[in-house]
Formats: sequence, structure tokens, C-alpha cells
Amino acid sequence: MSTFEQSGGVPVNEDADRIEHTGWTLAEAWTSFGPWLVTALNLTTFFCLWELFARSGVISPLFLPTASGMFQALWDGLTTTAPPGAVVSGSIRDHLIYSLTNLGIGLFLACAIGIPAGLLMGGNKVVETILSPYVWALASLPRIALVPLFILFLGFTVKMQITIIVLSAVFPIIINAWAGVKTTEKSLLAAAKVFGASRHELYMKVVLPYTLPFIISGIQQGIGRGLIGVIIAEIFGGSNGLGYLVSRSADTFNSALMYAVLFVLVVVSLTLIQFTRWLEAYVAPWRRIDGI
Amino acid sequence: MGGIVNITKGNRLQAATATAERAAAKGEPVIVAKNVTIGYQLHRERKRLTALKDVTLTVNRGEFVVLVGPSGCGKTTFINAVSGLVEPWEGTIEVNGRPVTGPGPDRAMVFQDYALMPWRTVESNVRMPFEFQQLGLSKQEIADRVRHYIDLVGLGGFERSFPYELSGGMKQRVGIARALVCEPDILLADEPFAAIDAMTREAMQGELERIVAKTEQTVVFITHSIDEAITLADRVVVISFRPGRIKEVVEVKLPRPRYQFDLKIMPEYGELHDRIWRLVKDEALQSARGAAR
Repeated sequence: MSTFEQSGGVPVNEDADRIEHTGWTLAEAWTSFGPWLVTALNLTTFFCLWELFARSGVISPLFLPTASGMFQALWDGLTTTAPPGAVVSGSIRDHLIYSLTNLGIGLFLACAIGIPAGLLMGGNKVVETILSPYVWALASLPRIALVPLFILFLGFTVKMQITIIVLSAVFPIIINAWAGVKTTEKSLLAAAKVFGASRHELYMKVVLPYTLPFIISGIQQGIGRGLIGVIIAEIFGGSNGLGYLVSRSADTFNSALMYAVLFVLVVVSLTLIQFTRWLEAYVAPWRRIDGI
Repeated sequence: MGGIVNITKGNRLQAATATAERAAAKGEPVIVAKNVTIGYQLHRERKRLTALKDVTLTVNRGEFVVLVGPSGCGKTTFINAVSGLVEPWEGTIEVNGRPVTGPGPDRAMVFQDYALMPWRTVESNVRMPFEFQQLGLSKQEIADRVRHYIDLVGLGGFERSFPYELSGGMKQRVGIARALVCEPDILLADEPFAAIDAMTREAMQGELERIVAKTEQTVVFITHSIDEAITLADRVVVISFRPGRIKEVVEVKLPRPRYQFDLKIMPEYGELHDRIWRLVKDEALQSARGAAR
């Protein structure tokens, strides 16, 4: 196959004699583990500086706890749970479970509504024309403005919170699925048609697989928006969830707890987003190569 | 190229039968296009644009016809009409004596941008036509055919690779295998080697000539390159600039298989090149002016 190697294909089933095994060198170890090492050092330095700065007393501990105080609150919050019969819990764990459950339900509903809606809008001109003004209007409306309305309708209930999460997360999902269908490469469609694909097959075997990575990036954006929805809904109303705990701990000047909750939020958000990135790379490896 | 080594006995037999049938009928007309006019409706500008005007062309079985002409002269439109993707406004196109009403298993196409499904492996891409067309083959027969054509284009060992892992030349080999796998009467190719580097391109031209000789395929092939046209064609059809009309048909009577000869030092080659170039030049200039405007 010597003629074709020069054109730069990634050899997959390579001849064994072309592969030369090289041992670990310092440079290779550095390219593999260097970034992790730098990140670890970077974060350690950050928390040490924070600790020193907080201890110096320039800023009142009411606003800025020490890093160690924050981690202590984090540990306590995650390992304890509210005693039975307590009116409100001070445990991060209880509120985390509550928030994540709501986020899960909200995202599930957002997908169940958003994916079919987006696919239909992309595939059917009539549906698209009818729905698009509403989608664009609601997508561009800051969702926080709807919170008072839903409190009015549904009160300080879980229903209200989940409604807000769904409304926050559903639009990126709709819009991405819609865009995926609309941008399906014409040549792929032409190829499938030439080889005899029916309308139904065209949709199932070209449009859907092409749109799948778009749907996943929609869900990725939906997670970010949904998390905002969770926190907003909980800050505004209710006595449960991480949003409630943030505002509650701020009200009671428990800055260590408040920072601990923010820390948890960062970790949760990063984990979920990283998961969808991994999922996207897994279902659509060709995008990973072309895109990033 | 060690591509043809692994042909199984059954496949060889099958290929031989298909080839024999085609050879028996060699020379009879397969594609008959009469006074074909095709255009596009530009909805925004409320205009109709004629892409191809009054084209009459007959392609015979086993013939390799190459269409050359400037960008935007309607070559692709013609090939799309033969494949059944586009319907002529006026005139008729018949394939094997039946008017074209849509795509069919007797025609297959190779695309300029390969048009491979990125989520499918090489093997799965080549097998794709069988998922859409019922040709009455058993699972085993399909598997054998897929392997046969993957080997024929020299991609044995790459069955499980994804298109993004392959070079341009290899991708187009997949495209060619996918087109050949249904053993169509007619192979349509829309500038298949345009995006491939010059060295690989010459090798691919030789490969295509070898494959076509083996399968006795009828080919309609589009290119911008006069060299490519002369290297491959039995007849070169020169199409004029907008709206596309057939300007002249040039017969190429160079010996085959041409990849074994040093064509470019033959005096006939120079004459042909000169003749086609003079035919294309004015059209290309017009096209360039059109683009500048």
C-alpha cells in the first residue's frame, strides 16, 4: 500500500515492522503526566494562598473563611445528615441529594420534550414554522423572569422548581437537535438516496446518527442551564436544596458552609459536563478529530 | 497494489458471470438522454436557472465516457439526472430502455467529497447499499461481496477502520467499493479524484481503469482535468459554459490498459490534449469572467 501512505492516512492496521516500541523517557513521562502535576501544584498553591490571605485578617471571616475552614465544613456537611424530625437540614449531603434528584427529573423531562420537538422542527417545515417563534421567544427570555409567575401558579413546591429546571434546560436541547437535522450534510443524503434509501431510512440511518452528537452537546448546555435553574428555583422558594443552603448560610453568616456549597456546585457541574464531553467523544469520534 | 489477491472462489464465479453478461451485450446503448434540459428554481430571487440545455447523449455498454467543462456548466446536474436525484424539465433519460423515475440499483455513484457515513466503518459503509436495496442476496452472499470489493479496491485489512482514520485516497476507494458492491450497470462518478493529491490521483486513475476493465462497467465520469479525461475515457464530452450544451465529443483511441503506458510521450496524446484544451479554453474563460462578475 506504499503509494497511499504519503497522503497522510492514520494507519490503523499497521504492519508490525513499522512500529518501533520506545521506552519511557523523561520527556514522554512529562507529556503524559506533566499537565496533571501542574494542575495539582496550581490548585495546592491556590488553596495555600487563600489560607494565608484569610488568616491575615484583611477580609473579615464573615465574608471569607479560611480554606481549611471551608474544607472542614465540606467534610462535616457531606458526612452528617439531619437528625430525624429536624425542620431544616444543615447537611450538604441532604440538600445535594435533593438538588440532584430534581436536576435529574428536570433534565429527563427536558430531553423527553426537547429531543422529539427539535427533531420534528428540523424534519417538518410546517412544525418548524409554527413552533419556531415560540422557541426563539422563550429561549431568549431570561428564565429568571418567569420564576415569580411559577411561584404564583405552583407555590413554593417541587413542581415549581422542576418546571423552572425544565424551562431552563429544554431550549438548548431543542435548538441543537433542530440545527443538527438542518445541517445534515447534503452529500450524505444524496449518497443514501442514490443507494435507494426511503424517506424513513434517510431519517433513521443518516439524519439521526448525524444529529446525535448535536443532541449531546444540547444536553451538555442543558445541564449548565438546568443547574442555574435549580439554584435559582431554590434560592427563590422552598427550604431544600443547595440553592437554599447557599442563601441560608449567607443569611446566618456561616461563610465556611456557603463556600463549601459553592465548591460542591463547581464539582457537580464539572463532573456532569465532563461526562457529556466523554459521551460525545464516544458516540462521535469523527467530530473529535475534525473539530478540536 | 496487492488488492486482487483475496478473491474467494464463489465471488470470482459471480463476478465472472456478471462480467460475461455485460460483455455479451457490449456496445448496445445503456443510457439514452434525449434533448434534456434541466434547471433550478431560485425561490428567493423568483428565477429559474437553466443549468443544462438540450443535451442529447447516448452511452453504450462498457463505455467510459468523461464529461469535461468549466465550473458550473451543468456536468453534475446531468449525472444527478441519470442517477435519478434530479428530474429533467424537458426531454427524457432512459437507462436500459426504461425512463429514469428515481434512483435504482442499476446505477451507483461516487462522490467528490466521498460522502461516507462518518459513524460507519469501512465495511459498514460498503455494506450500506444492501440495507436500502433488496437484491435477493443471502447474508453470506452479501458478506462475500462486501469483502470482495473491499479487497478489489485494495483496502483489505482496513474493514474496521472509520473514514476519519483514512487518507483521502483511501476514503475514495471506500466510495468506489460502495458504488461497485451492488454490481450496477452504470457507475457515475462526480469528480471523484478532485480532492486527492496528484500522486495518489494518478495511482487511483490506474486502479479505476483496472477495476473497470475487470467488471466491464459502463462509466460516466466528470472531471476538470483534461489529462484525467484522456487517461480514462473512450469518449470525452466537452460541455459549454452556462447553460451547458454538448460542444463536441472527442474519441480517445489510445491503447489500453493505459496505466501501463507512458501516455504523455505519445504524439496522439499531445494532439488530443491540445484539441480538448482549445475546446474548453473559451468556456473556461467565460466561466472565470462569470465568477469575477
